[in-house]
Amino acid sequence: MIIVRNLSKSFGSITALKEVSLEIRKGEFYGLLGPNGAGKTTFINILSSVVSADSGSIFVDGEEMDMHTTEIKKKIGVVPQEIALYEDLSAHDNLLFWGKNYGIPAAELKQNVEQLLHITSLENRKNDKVAHFSGGMKRRLNLACALVHKPDIVFMDEPTVGIDPQSRNKIYDILQNLQKEGITTIYTTHYMEEAEKLCNRIGIIDHGQIIAEGTLQQLRKMDQSTESISIQFEKLMGEQKKELVEVFGETTIVNGDTCVISTYQLDLKLAEIISKIDRIGLNITNIDFKKKSLETLFLNLTGKKLRE
Amino acid sequence: MINIAIKDLKIFLTDKKAVLLSFLLPIGLISLFAVAFGGAFKNDTQRPTDLMLADEDSTASSIALRQKLDSMKGLNIIPVNKDEGITRVESGKSKGVLVISKGFGKAVSSNVNPPLHLYYDPAREMEIGILQQALIPTLMEYVNIESAKQAVKRDISKNFQLNEEIMAGIYAKVEEFFASREGSSASKSMDILELTPVIKNKKASWGLIQAVAGVAVMMILFSVAAIGSSVLEEKESGTLKRLLITPVKRHGILLGKLLVALILSTIQLIIMFVFTWLVFGLNILIDIPSLLVMIFSTAFACSGFGVLLAAISQSRKQVESLSVIIILVMSALGGSMVPLFIMPAFMQKIAIFSVNYWSINGFYDIYWRELPFNEVFLNAFVLIGIGLVLTIISSLLFKRNVLKVS
Repeated sequence: MIIVRNLSKSFGSITALKEVSLEIRKGEFYGLLGPNGAGKTTFINILSSVVSADSGSIFVDGEEMDMHTTEIKKKIGVVPQEIALYEDLSAHDNLLFWGKNYGIPAAELKQNVEQLLHITSLENRKNDKVAHFSGGMKRRLNLACALVHKPDIVFMDEPTVGIDPQSRNKIYDILQNLQKEGITTIYTTHYMEEAEKLCNRIGIIDHGQIIAEGTLQQLRKMDQSTESISIQFEKLMGEQKKELVEVFGETTIVNGDTCVISTYQLDLKLAEIISKIDRIGLNITNIDFKKKSLETLFLNLTGKKLRE
Repeated sequence: MINIAIKDLKIFLTDKKAVLLSFLLPIGLISLFAVAFGGAFKNDTQRPTDLMLADEDSTASSIALRQKLDSMKGLNIIPVNKDEGITRVESGKSKGVLVISKGFGKAVSSNVNPPLHLYYDPAREMEIGILQQALIPTLMEYVNIESAKQAVKRDISKNFQLNEEIMAGIYAKVEEFFASREGSSASKSMDILELTPVIKNKKASWGLIQAVAGVAVMMILFSVAAIGSSVLEEKESGTLKRLLITPVKRHGILLGKLLVALILSTIQLIIMFVFTWLVFGLNILIDIPSLLVMIFSTAFACSGFGVLLAAISQSRKQVESLSVIIILVMSALGGSMVPLFIMPAFMQKIAIFSVNYWSINGFYDIYWRELPFNEVFLNAFVLIGIGLVLTIISSLLFKRNVLKVS
């Protein structure tokens, strides 16, 4: 549905995007993960036709963006990073205004507005000025304004920044519903848990380049670091400790009654580990897992934490 | 306390443009008003003032007076006939016409008050007052000396039977004597010049027209500056970027802002004129089509100015500073604050570049001079032209300065 080829953009001497290429399939929820200044917003701005690329091309449903900008814009909804609303207008009037810009028939627009006010739980405050809303309510309305024309594709640039957990969960619910409706979404974030929870596929961007891409499982496989399982036993005797090291290898650490076993792809090997312990005849009292995460993958790939 | 003061000073000094404006704005305005009210480049750079002169007498005396007036420093005599001169005063093209009526030569030689009329535009009363002060001593001197000369010559020719050669010699001596007295004998009498105001609408007060037109235009400029500022506010809040994401055309955003400025300015102007009508009795009903055309064209030109302000500024702060400077300067030059005619001639020339000038002039044409629609429309035409030029420039700058997203 969306094909991006060799997209590059520089601002003076700063390279914001360098030869970025990717393909996003219809109905996919694609997460773009990267630290601040990685190029996420520039990428969204170019996809939204607000900023023009220095080189490269974008195709949406087979049509080149530069040639069919207006038609493509009608298919796209964008949730900007900042809360871009008219604070002196009501929630209802904001939705109406943004919808009218897409030339939607009045009756259809009215229906869309009411529906979105309901979905975002702003029905009771629909006639209040946005200036009187909480941060979370503004974020929800910010999202609703991008959906008022029922777009096929939605670009979201960190739509949950700085809001309370309740509003965040509400937004997640809305996003999951969008996913069910088959809306194609590109979602930028630097919250790992969001990417893990929402996205079918994730691209990791740093210094304007996509440095890794795939499903969550594929990305975890790319991670060369090991996972570990920490098992606490009822009582470990000297012989049993030796046997554990012999069975699980030299990387196994036995400390008191606890044994830490390091391995790749813990998911696949867990049953085997439990079975071997059973054969040794040890009683387990507690198990703790240390699995690979996007955070560790990101750290391995870029050498820095995601929220730096 | 000191810490707070230091912090605020630091913040103030970070905005170099604001610092410059804070100091340069008052200096600039002082200079402007000093020049406008004649304090700075007094006399030496003043252009001679034009005065139309209609000589209906065409005698040796009237021709001599014409020559004398023509030789006056600071006066530029433009010969016209009486009707043409009065029409020009009526239409606001000239401040006044001096008419030397028939019988002038005879009156001078008979030593009676000669028929000298000054037809003038009362809207330019102050200017005429200054002119009168300059004219009367010259007229008095000429008339007194000429009358005395004629009387002496008449007495000599009546009482002495001399041949022509001796008479010519005596007359030359008389001329020489009176020439030596020029500049010393004029007693000022305002009666010598009969002043006749040329006015169509006897009920109108030019002060009221000046007040409503001058203030209205200046206020509209401030209003549209605020609308211009809203563009930058949208940029700062992110709604402008969001608008760029929608299928709305880029020039549509600018035109939308222009339209709102136009609608609000038009309504404001209508309210101001209706108020002046109801409360101060300015009869706006005498020419509704001209009034509407002038209101619309003024609103359009001012709106163009509003969007230009937005297009040339980088931030709301800049719009606010720039608008204050430009509006005050334009209003001072264009006649919103003080009537144009009391300014030096070169300032009056500069005034034509302001919206205020054409707008105020247009309202004078309607209510003071009661000019027909086609003549009032000239002002409206210029205002629409100004509006168009400003909108085109704004459109070009808008894309480059305001719509640029990084």
